[in-house]
Order: sequence, then C-alpha cells, then structure tokens
Amino acid sequence: MRDSIYLAWRYLRHHRAKTLLLVLSLSLFLGLPLVMRAMSHATQQSLVSRAESTPLLLGKKGSSLDLVVEALYFHLKDVEPISGADVDAMQATGLALGIPIRTGLSARNFPLVGTSLDYFPFRGLRIAAGRELAIMGECVLGAEAAETLGLGPGDALLTSPSTLFDLAGVYPLKLHVIGVLERSYGPDDEAVFVDLKTAWVGEGLGHGHQDVARAGPDVVLKRQGGTVTANAKLVQYNEVTESNLDSFHFHGDRSTYPVTAVIVVPHDEKAGVLLRGRFIDAPTRQLLRPAQVVDSLNKQIFRFERVLQIVVWTVGLATALMFVLVMVLSWRLRAEELRTMTRLGCSRWKAAQIMGAEIAIMVGASIALAAILGIVMAQYGETWIQNLILRGS
Amino acid sequence: MLGYIGRAVISLVDVQFDYPHGGFSLDVAQLTVPSGTRAAAIGPSGSGKTTLLNLISGIERPGSGEVTTTGVRVDRLSSAARRSFRITTIGFVFQEFLLLEYLDALDNILYPYRLHPELHLDASVRSRAQRLASDLGLAKLLDRHPSELSQGERQRVAIARALVTAPKLILADEPTGNLDPATKKQALDLLFEQCDARSTTLLMVTHDHGLLEQFAQVVDLEALGTAEV
Repeated sequence: MRDSIYLAWRYLRHHRAKTLLLVLSLSLFLGLPLVMRAMSHATQQSLVSRAESTPLLLGKKGSSLDLVVEALYFHLKDVEPISGADVDAMQATGLALGIPIRTGLSARNFPLVGTSLDYFPFRGLRIAAGRELAIMGECVLGAEAAETLGLGPGDALLTSPSTLFDLAGVYPLKLHVIGVLERSYGPDDEAVFVDLKTAWVGEGLGHGHQDVARAGPDVVLKRQGGTVTANAKLVQYNEVTESNLDSFHFHGDRSTYPVTAVIVVPHDEKAGVLLRGRFIDAPTRQLLRPAQVVDSLNKQIFRFERVLQIVVWTVGLATALMFVLVMVLSWRLRAEELRTMTRLGCSRWKAAQIMGAEIAIMVGASIALAAILGIVMAQYGETWIQNLILRGS
Repeated sequence: MLGYIGRAVISLVDVQFDYPHGGFSLDVAQLTVPSGTRAAAIGPSGSGKTTLLNLISGIERPGSGEVTTTGVRVDRLSSAARRSFRITTIGFVFQEFLLLEYLDALDNILYPYRLHPELHLDASVRSRAQRLASDLGLAKLLDRHPSELSQGERQRVAIARALVTAPKLILADEPTGNLDPATKKQALDLLFEQCDARSTTLLMVTHDHGLLEQFAQVVDLEALGTAEV
C-alpha cells in the first residue's frame, strides 16, 4: 500500500495544477453546506438575539416587520413615525421604561439614531473611548462607524442632507464626536448616536441663530411688539457650541415631534401583559414583540435555506460528476502507463490500488480543507457574517 | 542463474496462438534459446515478433503447445502467477522506453519494486539501482524527469529498469528503434555488457539486420524456425 500511495502522491504532485483544481472543487462541494449552515445560523442568531433582547416595541400601526427592521436594525424603511407624546405617555403609565428611537437621517452613510441615555445600558453598550452624550450637538459613534470613518473623540461629523437638491431643505448639522462605543457585533456598531433633541435639530425641527433682539437694522425686517421678523441675513448656526447652545430652540409643541418607535421595557412580566392588553385595539399604534416578528421572518429564511440546500446538492452532484469525468479522462490518457504496468507484471488490483490512492489523497485533502473551513467558520464565521450583514446593510 | 547455463531459458514446443478478434495467428513448432545467450528475433512487420515476446513472458497464453521460460511452464500458470513470474523473472526494454514522466530517473528505475509485493524495495535494492545507474552513465541524472533527458539517456534509464530486478531473461522489443546510430551503438553496447556481466539471457526483437552478427542466435519469425549465426 505504501508504494501505491507513493506513486499516487508523485503523480498528483507532478500534476499539481490539476490536483489543486480538483481538490478545491471538492472542498467547495464539501465545505459549502458548512458555510451555508454557519451563515444561516449567524444570520438567525444576529436577528434573534437582538429581537429577543427587546421586550416590546411601540410604533405606528402598519408593517410590523418594517417597524422592527427600522427601530432595531436601523435599516431605513420610511416607517411612519409616532410622536414624542407617545414616549411621555408610556413613561406616565408607570409600567415600563420607554426608550425613544428616532431614525431617518444619516451621517456619511451611517444611520443617525436619536435616542435617550437609557438606550446604552439597555443594550449593554459601553464607551471604549471618550464619554457619554451630555449636551446637544454631540454624537457617540458605533465601533464600525468610527473605524470606517477614521473618527474618534474630538473629531466632527456632518449629517447628510436628506435631499441633495433641496435648496430650501435642512442644512447639515456639524456633530461633535465625544465618544466611541465598544464593538458589540450588532447594528449599534454602525450607528451614529445622538440625543433625541439633536436628531430633531438635524431634521430642522429645532434651530439656533443669531439673537434677533440684538441684531442690526440690516437684519430686521419688522418689529411688532415682542415679535421681530428677520431677513435671510440672520446668521443660522450649523454647529452647537458652548457659546451658541442657548440660542438653539424648538418652535411648536415638542410632544408632536416625530419618534420612529419606542422601545418598551416593562418593569415586570405583569406590566408587559397589561401594556399589551392596552394596545390590542389601539387604532393607530401597535405594541409588538420583536421576537415574534423575527421568528416568523426566520421561518421564511428557513424555507429559503431549504431551497438553497437543494441548489447546493445539485451543484455538488455536478461537481462529483465532473470529478468522475476528469478522473476517467485522465485514466484514458494514461492507458499507455496502465499497459506498461500490466506488461511489467503489475496486477489489476495493484493498478486499481494506485488509482484509488490518488482519489483517496484528493478526497482526503478536500475533506481536510473542508473541515478546516468548517472549523474556521464555527470559530469566526458568526463574527464575519455579522460584519458582512452589517456592511451589506 | 548458473543452473540455466547451457540449458534452455526459453522453450516453445508446438505453440499455436490466435488473437481472439483478429486474423493473426502464430505457429511455432520448436524454439529453444539457451541460457546466457544473446538472441535476436527478426521478421517483417506483422510476423509476430512482439506476440512471441508476449507468449514467452506470459502476457498472452497460447491456444495450444508448451511455453517454458526459465524452467517454468508459463502456459500453465494462472493470470496472477504469470504476472508475479514476469515481474520477478523478466526484464523488459521497449522501443518507446515507456518511462513515467511524473517519476524521476531513479524512481523510474525502481518502478517494478513499486508494482508487486514480491519485490521488496530496501537499501540493498536502492544501492544496486545506484550502481547500475552509475554503470550506465546515469549517476548525475537520477533526479531528472524523462522530459529532461535525451533519447539515449531515456533508453539507458529503461535498460536500468529492466536490469534492476536482476532478471534471468531480458526481452527487448526494438529497443534501439528510436535512437540515432551513435546512440544506438552506445545503448546496445551497454545492454550487452550488462547482460554478459550478469549472464542474463537476452532476446531482442530488431529490424536492423546489421546488428545480427552481434547475436549468438537469430530467430526468424518468417521462416518459423531458428538458425545459428
């Protein structure tokens, strides 16, 4: 047997390009199901863990999936907002903690998320560098956003205008980066966090400008009692600083300002049941359990995975047939060698053993390669795929 | 080996052979090649020279008659026994050399030892192969693959492969057919020298009648008989 393995090895080594191609094809065939399983598992884990850690979510009635995807994973879905009053109302129930989530804007392609300070301990997010949000105009970056943008505490970041050609639209707001979060391998890594008021300022619902009372006559159009009407020369601030912080203000009733959703953290199980009962027949609001929504999504993914499995097995069969074809053609090309072996006195069994050893070495190498791939995927696959999901989002 | 000197190493009596699907047949009433002899088999193409070598080595079995090689009735052996007999008793040299490109010269020489469990590849065999290679002027070429060797060098590797098992009989099928005259002479001289040194019987198929005077016996397939030169 040792001689057969030696001859097989020498043959495969001499034809290394062909051998490598066959081994890689077989490895892919064997490793693909492992990679797929790891991908599917990681995707589901990523979705499930986030959803399961969010007890309830309050939002506008409509697509529950869109609401979950936007509020939990920050994939912008143009979900109709609820209002600041809903946040206050939830707090007023005394049954739960309400954490507002305002999405919609972005900063250099990373989602801008307006929320309260409660969000960070709720998600278990810790500051890796810098400090927490303290005043308006500040932002804290997710680890991936910070790494990709190359930003850290002390740097600045502009919000992206929602419409490039909207000249009457909202000016970008310059945000001060005051902290970077530890990596959490979730959607938070790609977010730019600001407090709710900053998010509203970014949307143009609040603003800061030069004090009109002290403005010169070239700026004032009309003074009527306590009301001063200014013209376009009035300096508008696109950055919150210590000196202009007090000039930032909101017009109108803040309780009507938009909030994408409210993460509802009931104080106990009973409180959760009571709250759900209150919203069963709510005409314009829905209080849903994200885990339930993701579970139904996972069932769809599982169905898709089964279809993919069929595709993989079909490709695998084609690969196996190709392998057999290559081997048969190779043996035909080696007919002279086989004839020489026979003429010298080699038995058919020995010849088959040599050919078998060639197949065994290639299959063995492919299994080893696929196993390494499987082990690597098991070890790091989840992280890579979560990163992939994040980057692809 | 000494036991065969003066005795017949090859003996065919009333042999009749037909290929199952072809019209070719070979009849040999009597053929004897004594031990230690250099014999040549001649005849036009299609006269059955290669078939004769196949019958002697047991690659083919006659329809009738007796084929005795080195004292063994080859025609009576099973297929497995004939293979075993062939690889341990006979060395082959082919016109096309039939070396394996994926093996270097040394591995090509040792190739028979990789093919049959009755041949054991050990240090003494390796050292014999090295000596043989050195005798044939191949000492510095042992790590080269056939494509890196000249025609003459390849034929010398093929001769070394035929001799490495210390066979009692060498069957050479037009071994110089692909060589230029100078290389041909060198290869033949080496083959004769090695066979003589080991008292190995040589039966060589050739078309080159100019070589016949170097053989003690000539087997003319066309005449279906033997003639002493």
